Amino acid sequence: MDSKEEIHNRLKQVLIELFAIEPAKITPEADLYQDLGIDSIDAIDLLLRLKELTGKKIQPETFKHVRKVADVTEAIHALGLSEAAAGSAAPLA
Amino acid sequence: MKLGNRLDYGWRLLGTGFSFACFGLGGVLLSLSLFPLIRLVSPDKDTTRRRIQRAMHHTFRLFLWQMTTLGVISYEVSGRERLAQQGRLIVANHPSLIDVVLLIAVLPEVDCIVKQALWRNPFLRWPVAWADYIPNNGSAEQLVESAAANLRAGRSLIVFPEGTRTVPGQPLNMQRGAARIALAAQVEVLPVTIVCQPTTLTKAEPWYRIPPRRGHWRLVVGEPLPASEYTPADLPEALAARRLTQHFVNYFSHSVSGIMQQTAADAAAATPTCTMP
Repeated sequence: MDSKEEIHNRLKQVLIELFAIEPAKITPEADLYQDLGIDSIDAIDLLLRLKELTGKKIQPETFKHVRKVADVTEAIHALGLSEAAAGSAAPLA
Repeated sequence: MKLGNRLDYGWRLLGTGFSFACFGLGGVLLSLSLFPLIRLVSPDKDTTRRRIQRAMHHTFRLFLWQMTTLGVISYEVSGRERLAQQGRLIVANHPSLIDVVLLIAVLPEVDCIVKQALWRNPFLRWPVAWADYIPNNGSAEQLVESAAANLRAGRSLIVFPEGTRTVPGQPLNMQRGAARIALAAQVEVLPVTIVCQPTTLTKAEPWYRIPPRRGHWRLVVGEPLPASEYTPADLPEALAARRLTQHFVNYFSHSVSGIMQQTAADAAAATPTCTMP
């Protein structure tokens, strides 16, 4: 399980690589749309890239409520948790 | 104000009001007559689309003829021959309310993106659907996809990257949707710069705030630009879209100020100056 800090750092790399965003701007509190200038089509690109990286699918519905960098980190972290929960539940089934 | 100027002002105010009334009323009447008739006699969807688009083109030409004949506006187009080729993304800046009217009046067959309100209008929703214009109904992804598909099929499309009219006195602010469409379709982009002087029908003013003298529009069609120049193989599309959009901002800012300076220089040359013999 990756810590939130590790997830944040990887997300930061992705944002720099995909959108050439200034690294200093990418704080957990930064608003993706207002502060980082991401638009709705960029958000789809970001979702695809995150899917490639994590091997897990973030639902676009989840992403609709995402505003801050920390929200994305949280969503990825939660995916990991649900995966872990599913994994531990599997042997019982 | 001199009497002549007052009369001119009053005439243009009346003419502007009359033109707007004609535009609204004409839209309703045509939606109930000509457009359904075209739809009725056209054998298939594609023929309907082409005929409706051509009907819109002629209607807008007629409307502009009325406005120019009344002396409410004047306009000129340069580089018109470049508009002949189909399958291009026509990108324009958006200073005034009638920009799309001007563009459709010079383009016989062209798609445009139509805001949600028109698709709910009881009269206009049918013609815009028959013209197969692209709805802007919230999903940016879908909009880019259908716009790109139509372009690849050889149809032309008008897009205003600003998304809304320019805020006078502010630097150009452009969204990246137009660039995304160009990159997804991999077609040529044809820039059209629109300048209106004195400014009128801007975002900041209602229609009746008419300028002290007749507004004159200049449409300058630029050189086509292939979208492929902005897509090196290893560049993520989001970055390419940023570069292409920045190019649009630079191009239009430069082009608008160039045309304005040219107009000022022409005006200065036309005014005789007193020189000593």
